[in-house]
Parts: sequence; C-alpha cells; structure tokens
Amino acid sequence: MIRLTDVSKTYKSGVKAVDGLTLQVNDGEIFGFLGPNGAGKSTTIKMITGILSPDGGTVEIDGVNMAEQPIAAKSLIGFVPDNHEIYETLKGTEFLNFVGTMYGVDSAAMAARIDEYATIFDIKSVLPNLISSYSHGMKQKLLMVAALLHQPKVWVLDEPLTGLDPQSAFQLKQIMRKQADMGNTVFFSSHVIDVVEKVCDRIGIIDHGKLVAVDTLDNLRADGNVSLESLFLTITAHDGDKE
Amino acid sequence: MKKYFALVKLFFTQQYKMRSTVGSKDKKHIGWIFTVVVIILGLLPFAISVAVAMFYMGQISQGNEYVNAFLILMCQGLVLMFGVHAIISNVFIVGDAERLAYLPVRSLTVFLAKFTVTYLNEVITTAVTLCVIVLPFGIGAGASAAFYCTLPFALLLIPVLPLFVGTVVAMPLSALMAAVGKNGTLKTVVRVLMYLTVMALYMYVMYNFGFFSGSENNILDNPQEYIAEMIDGFINRLQGIVVYAHSDYMLSCAMLSGSFGDRIGSIAASIGENLLMLAIVMVMALPFYNTIVRQSLESGGIARRKSKNAVANSQSLKLRNKGSLLQLIITDFKRTVRDGQLGFQSFAGLVMLPVTIVIFYFMLGQASDGDASFLEVMSISPMYQIIAPLVVLGYTGMLSVITNVWGLYPITRENTSFYLLKSLPISFNKILLAKVILATAVMSVCDFITCLLIVLLLGIKWYYGIAIFVTMALIGFGAMCITTLLDLKSPKFRWANFNQGLNNAKNHWYAILISMLLDLAIALASTPFLIWCYATSNAQDVAPMWYIPFLMWLLLLVISFAFAMVAYKVMARKASGYFNRIET
Repeated sequence: MIRLTDVSKTYKSGVKAVDGLTLQVNDGEIFGFLGPNGAGKSTTIKMITGILSPDGGTVEIDGVNMAEQPIAAKSLIGFVPDNHEIYETLKGTEFLNFVGTMYGVDSAAMAARIDEYATIFDIKSVLPNLISSYSHGMKQKLLMVAALLHQPKVWVLDEPLTGLDPQSAFQLKQIMRKQADMGNTVFFSSHVIDVVEKVCDRIGIIDHGKLVAVDTLDNLRADGNVSLESLFLTITAHDGDKE
Repeated sequence: MKKYFALVKLFFTQQYKMRSTVGSKDKKHIGWIFTVVVIILGLLPFAISVAVAMFYMGQISQGNEYVNAFLILMCQGLVLMFGVHAIISNVFIVGDAERLAYLPVRSLTVFLAKFTVTYLNEVITTAVTLCVIVLPFGIGAGASAAFYCTLPFALLLIPVLPLFVGTVVAMPLSALMAAVGKNGTLKTVVRVLMYLTVMALYMYVMYNFGFFSGSENNILDNPQEYIAEMIDGFINRLQGIVVYAHSDYMLSCAMLSGSFGDRIGSIAASIGENLLMLAIVMVMALPFYNTIVRQSLESGGIARRKSKNAVANSQSLKLRNKGSLLQLIITDFKRTVRDGQLGFQSFAGLVMLPVTIVIFYFMLGQASDGDASFLEVMSISPMYQIIAPLVVLGYTGMLSVITNVWGLYPITRENTSFYLLKSLPISFNKILLAKVILATAVMSVCDFITCLLIVLLLGIKWYYGIAIFVTMALIGFGAMCITTLLDLKSPKFRWANFNQGLNNAKNHWYAILISMLLDLAIALASTPFLIWCYATSNAQDVAPMWYIPFLMWLLLLVISFAFAMVAYKVMARKASGYFNRIET
C-alpha cells in the first residue's frame, strides 16, 4: 500500500512540481498515474521511491514512513525508472547481482528469480554481456527483472512501456496483474492511455502538481461512452506542453 | 563558420558549466574563494622561487637564445603533461558521437571545434608557465621591448608542439584501444601504461637536459669557474637538443636576438613551422577521428550481434551475495575500471607516485666517475634516516591525496546513475564508506609499492617504510572521507565525458588545501623531535637515540589515526543531509 498525505515538492529552481498531493493506493491494486508533460508524475514517483524528499507531507509504504525509516520503506519497493541510466560498464548479471545483494536476496533465490524473469522478458542470453551493448528495450527489461528480484510489496514503474516490443509489453501487463493478484501494489505512470484503460483498477490524473482526478475508470466516466483519452484531454484541456 | 564557432562555444563552456544538482542560488561562495586564496598563497612561494631562479638564469646566461628555447621547451613539456589526456579525452574519445551524428554539421567542423577547444585549454596552461618561467627569464636577461611584444605570439605558438606531440601519441594509443576491443579493463591498463611511459620519458629527457657532470673544478673551491663551466656545458648540450625543436629556437631568437629584420624573419619562420605542424597533425588526425567516430556509432550493433553468441555462457550465471558493503566496493571498482576514461583518470595520477620515486633514484643516485652519488653521500648521514622518511611522507602523502580521483570524485563519478544509489535500501553512510574504502585501498596499493621502492632504492630503513605506509593509509582514509563529503556536497552530473566532470571541479583545489594542511601538521608535529634529534646527536655526527624517532612516528601515527576517525565521524554525521539535498 502506498499512502501520500499532503505531499509537496518545490525544486531549488523555484518550480513547484507537486502541490499538496494526497493519495492512497491499496494492496492488490494496479494504479495508473496520468498527466501531461511536466505535471509532476516523475517527481511524485521519486518521492514515493525515496529519491527525493518532499518539502511537506508524508510518504508511507505499507505503513512505513519513508522519512523516518527510509531503508525499511525502500526495501518494500521495486522501482523501474524511465531514464534507463544504469551502470553501463557492468554486465547484466553483475548488475542484477548488485541489486539483489543490496536488497538482501540470497544467491539461490536470486538465481531462481533471474532465471524466471529473464526468461519471461527474453534477455537471458544477453545477461553475460556489458549493459553498454544493450538496446533501450533490453535495458528496460533488465531494470524490470532487477525490480522484481526481491519480490517487492510495492512495484513502482515510471513509463514502463516505452521501448518495449509487443511481446514484452504483453508480458509486463501479465506480471503486473499477477503482482496485484498476489496482494501487492502496482503503481505506474504512462502516456499510453489505451494500456492504462485496459490494465488499471484505478486511475489518478495529475496536473500542475495537483491531483485533479482519482477513481476507477467507470466512476470517472460521467457518460459511459466517454473514452479515457477524451476524459484526460478534457481534464487537462487548459494545459500546454511545458516540458 | 557559424556552426564551427557555435560548437567551439558549446564544447568550451560545457567544460566549465557542468550542471550541479545542488541549487546554486543559495550557494555560499565565501568558503570556496577562501580556499582558492589560501591555495594560491600556499603555491605562491613555489611559483616565486621558480620565477626567481629563472630571473637569475636570465642574468647568468645573458639572455642566451638556446637557454630561452630550452625554457620554452620546458613550458611545452608541462603543457603536454597536463594536456595529453585532455587530447585523448576531448578529441579521440567520442562519447558524444551519437548526439552529434544527426546534426547537420560536417565531421570536419566537429573535429576542428574539438581541436580548437583543446588548443584553447593549452593556451591557458601556457599563460601560467610563461608568467612563471619565460617572463622572469626575460626580465633577468634585461630583454628589450621586442621580447615583451613577442610574448603574445609565444602564448599562441607554444601550445602547438604539445598539441602535435600529444596527437601523435594519442593516435596510436587510440588505435591500440580499438585493437584491444571491448575489454574496458585491458583498455584502462594499456592507457595507463602508455601514459606512464610518456611521463617517464619526459622526466628522463628533461632531467638529462639539465644534468651537468665532469667538471675539473670544485664548486666550493672555484665557484665562479664551476658555474661558468656548467653554463657552457649546459648551453652546448642545448645547442644539440633544440635543433629538434627548431620552431622554439626561432621563437626564442625572435624574442631575444638579432636586428629587427632578423626578429621578423625568426617569428615568421616560427609561425610557418608551427602552422605546418598544425596542418600535418590535422591531416593525420582527421581520418583517424572519423574512423573512431564510425566505430563508436557502430559499436552497439556489433555488441548486440555478439550477444546472440553468448547464449551458452548464460547457462551458468555467477551469482553471489557477498554482503552489501563488499558488493558496493566491487561494483564501483569494476564499472570504473571498465570505463576507459574513468579508469584512466582514476589510475593515471596515482601510478605516477612510484614512478617519481624511481626517477628520484636515478636523479640522486647518478654519480660522476669515481665519485659518490648525492644519494650515497646523504644516506651516510645519521639524520638521513630521520629526515628522508618525513620528506617522503610529506611528498607522497600530498600526491596521494591530490591525484586520487577515486576519492576526489566518488559521487560525480556516478553521473546520472546516482538516482540508483538513492533508491536502494542501503544507508548513505554505508555507500560513502564503501567509496572511501575503495579510494583508500587503491591508493594504498600505490603507497605500498612506493614504500617498497623507497626502502629498496632510497635506502630508507624498512621499519620507516612500514611506518610511512600505515601513516599514509590513515591520512589517506581521513582525507578521502573529507573529499568524498565535499564531492557529495556539490557533485557534477550529466557529463558526457568524464573530463567535463573533472574540469571546473573544486575538488582538486580542496584536495590541495587538505594536503597542504596535512603536510603542515606533519611538519609541526615532527619539528620538535628533529630539533631534539639534532641537539642530542651532536650536529649530525652521531645517530640520535632510537627512542626519539620512535616517539616521533608514534605521535604521527596517533595524529593520523585521530584525523582518520574525526574525518569519518564528520562524514557520517553530514552524509544524510547532503545526500538528501541532491535533486536527481
């Protein structure tokens, strides 16, 4: 479970990225986080994962306060970033070994999970190679495997579908559903509205740092025939592309 | 031309405008300015003493153009020493190839822009060397106004030869790198070895330029004749040498001798020769640069094709949970060593330490026929075993801290992957401790070899070797804690080329300040013991009582240990706050 209470973040440049955000994502739920460019999606995700500290408010992961117990809170999260900036001069295996060790996964469990997820995402054959030789999609898949190694209670994915081939995108959606069915929380941001519409149990829309809508898709639709795309465009209609 | 100037501006300012991830508005510059002022004041005596020596050399040699040409060559040696890795990093490591490839700019324009930026950097270094070496020489020689009018030409012409030599060195090196393939570790080793060879050659050649021996006169009995003979011998040697740097000799002639017409002729000849050198180097380097860019752009595809053949290996993935601290250290080490630039920058400075000891040995150990060498004479003195280890400690301790890129840029090294460290469930203190241990460990290997060499070559007693090693390890650990914390306070991220991360970084300046303060502390702690030794050993004739140096080293060890502990505590206390301030 993720709970954000009145969370705000203003960057040192003076930009207020997130403004009084309150949100709860429950266990067993897939939550889609939508918003135009520069709306505050990535900042919110960085605060959830402990990369950024909020100026105000609290972030709780499965009841653990991120500010008070950051290590315990981070241990519960599996994070897939959107920038794919990883240690390029490590081999895939070495990177997974590094991440697994940091999360305290023992060698046997690590091997089993790498075998399982690397097979699903079809990157097992490239794991002995340096990451610098990977394509964008391969890095994305590697990060997903790394994020699942410690069987996180909360899985946070920032734009996870970018660069994935259709097979892998399908596999990802399956795994997300499986994680939710296991009682874990899946929180992801995306620009691909179709996917959000099909996969998510609930949706949140952020605009100018504020949560402007959050509910199930059915409840969000005032008129049953309105697509999520139309809904999104209506809610964020005033907004220009700021990024 | 517009594109060329735009690229020059971009590449040049990129070096000095690295994005700091900590807000700049609230940055306090007072501490930084204070540090720079203190360092300049600290280095000033050295610079002044060099300038004074050059002033007297100008007087003694009466503005001899061969001596001036030699000094120009010396400036070029320094420019080369500081600039050769910049040539490799800026021109022949094309980390930005992909970003530039799709722009509507010709490869030639990019190459010229990169070359220009490297040249401009060398002009800056040249300006400093001119002020400290050539200018005082001219003043001492009572040079005419023409000397000063020629200085701007000297400023522009001096960097050409280092650029030429640097490029000639860099090209086979880069070719060798390409031949080595994708093995980053091997690339780092080859690059460091090549760098060492060039530096050792430079030091050896410079030393042999100025070495004088074989005089019939004794300096104490006939000082004037001895000096006159030495200068004659020196100039004779230089005449043979400067023919290989003819453009420098022409520049020197333009600065110092002949009629107005001769001077114009000399400067024209020097400009012509330098332009020729530039043209040759361009013609040689451009196709090479294009090959490197092409290889870089195609490397991803090659690796992916290779990856298909790696299926068999994947069956046996080596996974071991070694504990988070050890894993942090190993991962950091591996990824740094495998990165050509990171690896080279991280090792190049440190490995120079043992090399300088070997060079000292050759310099001090060389003797004229039948005479004892300076080293042999010195080592007989009872005070040698007391003073020499302290000098070595001060020198190596200082160099270890200043050149240890592992400890100076541990956070900057993370670059855009820093977010990963922030997202991991590991305490920031542990992450920093891993970085400090790694920096100290790498430094200690060099220190160990250095200590071994001083025992074997400089005749320092083995127990002093051990004492120096332990003291340096403790001092190094403490210094690395401080430099790590300073890098954490203001890291430079988003560099495409690690050289950009190093440029404009305050860390080197802070490291110089730290090492100066450490040397001052060593001097203050040991001075009373040296006086005690001197007083009780009857002015150098008798060995001092054993317990005096023992107590001195005990005190140094205690101080070093206390410093290491305090520095670690400070780092641990501040780490979390600084970590959280970084906005990735």
